[in-house]
Amino acid sequence: MPHIPAAPAALPPHEQLPGWDAAWSRLVTVRSAADPDGVSRTLHVADTGPLLDALGADVVGTIVAVHGNPTWSYLWRSLLAETVRRARRGQQAWRVVAPDQLDMGFSERLEHPANPTPSEMGRARSTYRGLRDRVDDLEALLAELGITAQAEAGHPVITLGHDWGGVVSLGWAGRHRDAVAGVSTLNTAVHQPPQASLPAPLQAALAGPVLPASTVATDAFIAVTTSLAKPSLAPEVRAAYHLPYPDAARRGGVGGFVADIPADPAHGSHAELTRVSDGVSALGAAGVPALIQWGADDPVFLDRYLDDLRDRLPAARVHRYEEAGHLLIDDRDVVTPLLTWAQLLLAGLLDDPASGLPGPRPHADDDAPATSSHPVLGVTGRAVELELADADSDADRGDGATAPAAGGVPRLWDRLEDWGAPGSAMREYTALVDMAGAASSRALVGARRRPVAVGWGEFQETVSAMATGLWEAGMRPGDRVSMLVPPGRDLSAALYAVLRVGGVAVVADQGLGITGMTRAMKSARPRWIIGQTPGLTLARAQSWPGTRISVATLAAPQRTLLDVSDSLYAMVERHRDPAASGPRDAAGAPLAEPALAADAAVLFTSGSTGPAKGVVYTHERLGRLVQMIGRTLDIRPGASLLAGFAPFALLGPALGAASVTPVMDVTKPATLTASALADAAIAGQSSVMFASPAALANVVQTAGDLTREQRAALAGVRQLLSAGAPVHPALLRQLSAVLPHAEVHTPYGMTEGLLLSDIDGEEIQRLRRAPDAGVCVGRPLPGVEFRIAPLLEDGTAEEVTLDAATGHGVLGEFVVSAPHLKDRYDALWATDQQSKRDGLVRRDGRVWHRTADVGHFDAEGRVWIEGRLQHVLTTPDGPLAPGGPERIVDALGPVRRSAVVGTGPAGTQAVVVVVEAAVPANRPARRAGHHRDGRPKQGLAPTALAASVRAALDPLPVAAVLVADEVPTDIRHNSKIDRPRVARWATDVLAGGSVGGL
Amino acid sequence: MGIEIHVDDDGLPQLVERVVSRRALVTGASGLLGAGTARVLAESGTEVTTLQRRPSGVPGVRDVLGSVTDPAAVEDALEGVDTVVHVAAKVSMSGPEEEFRAVNVEGTRILVHAARRRGVRRFVHISSPSVAHAGSSIVGEGAGPADPERARGPYARTKAAGELIALEADSEDFRVLVLRPHLMWGPGDLQLTDRIVQRSREGRMPVLGTGAPLIDTLYTGNAVEAVVAAVAAVDHTHGEALVVTNGEPRPVGELVRGIALAGGAPEPERTVPAGLARRAGALIERVWERDLFRVRSAGIGSADGEPPLTEFLAEQLSTAHWFDQRRTREVLEWTPTVSIDEGLHRLAAYYRDR
Repeated sequence: MPHIPAAPAALPPHEQLPGWDAAWSRLVTVRSAADPDGVSRTLHVADTGPLLDALGADVVGTIVAVHGNPTWSYLWRSLLAETVRRARRGQQAWRVVAPDQLDMGFSERLEHPANPTPSEMGRARSTYRGLRDRVDDLEALLAELGITAQAEAGHPVITLGHDWGGVVSLGWAGRHRDAVAGVSTLNTAVHQPPQASLPAPLQAALAGPVLPASTVATDAFIAVTTSLAKPSLAPEVRAAYHLPYPDAARRGGVGGFVADIPADPAHGSHAELTRVSDGVSALGAAGVPALIQWGADDPVFLDRYLDDLRDRLPAARVHRYEEAGHLLIDDRDVVTPLLTWAQLLLAGLLDDPASGLPGPRPHADDDAPATSSHPVLGVTGRAVELELADADSDADRGDGATAPAAGGVPRLWDRLEDWGAPGSAMREYTALVDMAGAASSRALVGARRRPVAVGWGEFQETVSAMATGLWEAGMRPGDRVSMLVPPGRDLSAALYAVLRVGGVAVVADQGLGITGMTRAMKSARPRWIIGQTPGLTLARAQSWPGTRISVATLAAPQRTLLDVSDSLYAMVERHRDPAASGPRDAAGAPLAEPALAADAAVLFTSGSTGPAKGVVYTHERLGRLVQMIGRTLDIRPGASLLAGFAPFALLGPALGAASVTPVMDVTKPATLTASALADAAIAGQSSVMFASPAALANVVQTAGDLTREQRAALAGVRQLLSAGAPVHPALLRQLSAVLPHAEVHTPYGMTEGLLLSDIDGEEIQRLRRAPDAGVCVGRPLPGVEFRIAPLLEDGTAEEVTLDAATGHGVLGEFVVSAPHLKDRYDALWATDQQSKRDGLVRRDGRVWHRTADVGHFDAEGRVWIEGRLQHVLTTPDGPLAPGGPERIVDALGPVRRSAVVGTGPAGTQAVVVVVEAAVPANRPARRAGHHRDGRPKQGLAPTALAASVRAALDPLPVAAVLVADEVPTDIRHNSKIDRPRVARWATDVLAGGSVGGL
Repeated sequence: MGIEIHVDDDGLPQLVERVVSRRALVTGASGLLGAGTARVLAESGTEVTTLQRRPSGVPGVRDVLGSVTDPAAVEDALEGVDTVVHVAAKVSMSGPEEEFRAVNVEGTRILVHAARRRGVRRFVHISSPSVAHAGSSIVGEGAGPADPERARGPYARTKAAGELIALEADSEDFRVLVLRPHLMWGPGDLQLTDRIVQRSREGRMPVLGTGAPLIDTLYTGNAVEAVVAAVAAVDHTHGEALVVTNGEPRPVGELVRGIALAGGAPEPERTVPAGLARRAGALIERVWERDLFRVRSAGIGSADGEPPLTEFLAEQLSTAHWFDQRRTREVLEWTPTVSIDEGLHRLAAYYRDR
């Protein structure tokens, strides 16, 4: 029988602990309710209190941080160090108290006659600490240190935990919910659902003889835990984690914790775990502020435990870190967000919209209320003219984020249910034309199909029937719905149906790649997936969560194979009702409209700077967006939209305009031909066109094929909105030959704010010779405000912002405010808070957004974009935005595209210009170092090219000019240059590496 | 003597007593840098003594002929001097280590000790970035500590030891500032510039590897300015080493092409894989030192008795070597007046006129 001897607590050997300060360590002796009377225990506690006192700091609050298994207080060293550092600098001083739990770290070791077993844990006969004992121990420590009394007297105390420490700290907080100021946790779990099995790694660890073998007899459990860090821990840091657990005699507690996992209700600690989780729910009900930071890549603490915590703490701020794992605090800076949150909590600003929004948990409960409590907007008596609210009054009203749902915001389905209603004069008018004739797909490009036109009546009936079917299938307001349907008729119908039910459309486009989409799906946690066979196959293969619904009805074997429960087409068959408008519930009553403030969509960013972020829009903000588009392009109801970029067809029904989708591969805008566009224009008699620059470029290229009739149809286009990327002046000139009467608008925006400024083609031409650096994106649209945060020497942006009048000519980050901005980032509280932080400085009631786009205002107040904040070079002469020099180099004859990047350490970076050469018009004789088509080969630029680039950019100090066969761009728009990738390649080449790759 | 206000590291203004040098010794004034420094100092009213084996050719200076390894010559040269600019060194790509040690280590030791004993106040020591360079690639780094153990080649190792001798002697009464000029080129430079030009003219100048590695260089005229600036700066900042460059890193292939073209030679087009060049360089270096095949005595190689390519040079020309110049410019309160492009124009004019 193995015997584990008792051992006293000790101060840790600080010289073996990188990042640790001996001044933090103390030994505290307590009497815990877990022990018989007269028995005391000694804990090693990291406590910055004495140090802060010695510094004379004014301590504003205490953070009690509890480690899990098999770590120890060393886990919190970054928090300990940062709080002390801030105190030294005279900033807010938080005391941190981080005990080593008994039998763990450098705290006292209890005597154990035998190895731990799950059946004994939590029972009186066990010598090992069970969950209840551990909460009692923490209770005793905080009483001994006087922290409990302080908390009761109003001193702010925040609990923080990780792993088992999350449970223990929340257990204490639940017992003191009137006294605790806030709770925070990293990956943990307070509830094991009876129907769900334990995560596989834990099942393995708990299995019979494996438990003592892996946790006590060997250090396997510790080694596995410390191997989970991403990136790997430095060897000396890893050794520090292992330091208190050198042999079996020191590892009893590690086994004890694993044995204490209450895998089923019969377990001795199950009752206490239930008490803890009830306590957490009570904290949530009492409105105690909470911050959950979560590593998404944790094999043990899966997303379902995060969901459970969010259910219990509905107002919790949640930040879920992609690509970070179980040892989150070693993987990411969680300390800065924690201290920001603590600071906001202390200042009473947590509920300010500028502090970042909590957002409901995505995976709503089955028993969620079926109807919205918000008033339903009247369906009848709407004016036919789209209400164009006065721009000035709009601006005065402020941002609208905090204001109750204001009147005058159109709902996306208003027009549809109105015009498509029985008896409506508009019923037979065209709502949609799909030139491909059937569901768009790659195979149909170029194929001759008869266009399909759908009237407002038919489209309304389809959407309403789908919505009725989705409701019947169980979809409820707040449910997230992944839309894996390519743009086209089917997507339009499905999207309006989902929005009408109150579902939240999750849109992650294929540009993210399978990995990126899977990541997006796992983070958005959709309850439903609507897709066609390719999307559903992918969902199945990648195990994306959600009940699957197909668009077309699938054959039975395929249905089984793809695990599909129903189809939208079947729903339409079942529920189509020409005598009604709008969806109905089982009793035949009209479905309530979702609240304006409710979530409507989660759109994923392109992920060009880190993992794609989910951007949440509410119904109100989507309505404002549609309003803004209608206003900018002066789209009157009844207009016809030519959707040269397929996703824009989605806006047609909301704008009250017929939308016509030309034949093209919807996933590749550059497949749009001039003929296909013209045929669509003929079919739809369209006067307004939407396109992307890539599509327009191909239209120009294929304009030679146009017939006289086709040319005439394109001449009827009066308005052209080109979105996604700036339009080059040269393309504009070429376009005027194809679309001679079109007024070109190129708005500027981003996933977080889709339409912020606008410039027309004439002005782009006029500004071609302007001395300004970068690309002009015009003036702010009505209701949109732009400010600029000047760049500092280190390439970061100033906290204080300037308006266009005072800040013109200054290089900085643009900060914007508008009624149709994002509501928030999804489950990325720290990012959301940072993006909105200007509201806290300005206190003007508006919600602001840091765009991470850099540029400047010109003297006329126009906005010039010069690149991304993350791509700013820090040269010895100061920060340099890449966009300005790139535009100059792009204008050189031998250059097709360029990227300006930095190489070398921040602050002393050398400027490198990487050019993708253009194919010379007259093919020169074959030359060494050149391709057959006359372009120079990848590597150092030829003398003449380097000289012309340097001359064009003079006096900018250009260290090197390199040639790349292709300057990589993003998949979504084929225009955003992947500068980090170019920089990595250039840095390697300029350090003597190979010129291959990129 | 004058008083200046200087801002210290904490941002506080400090009164600094600035002693304008009246009498300076420049060693190694037969070379481009030494002679240039002696000339500028003399023109600005400083009484200048020089010490080298051949006459400096600088007007208005007192030449002491001899070596820094000769204590008597050193004592003679230091007569009445308050400032020393120590340029003299054995500069070569290869050769027996003892020869380097005698000049670069022992010569420096003799000079430093004699100068300190005689009450010299300022000592500007010219070193080389190679003293801190053990690895292969330098990308935007500052001046690391000299490392005589790990530096590559006898020149770098002995210059490292010499620099440490100078810095160890630093005190408030004997203020030492070390400059490490990197790859000097310009009109009249025989070490690098003229070799590139001559070999390019003969079609023997290869471009190693991709030609893309970024290297920092220093136009000779700027180097002289930097040394003169150091004579002033040593009063307020001393006890440290500064790498000095033009602060314009360029791809090595582009620089070599530019120098060749300025010298009226065709653009070097022959490329040699960098790895191969390095191995060949190492072999040639060994053969050259031992003269195994009597190549040296047979007159193969360049006219100045240097091997055609050394491993060190091959590596210098195929990996990145560029530096953070912010500290240098802050301390010297100086920026180069001649840009690389302007320098190439001047070089072209120089070769045209010859």
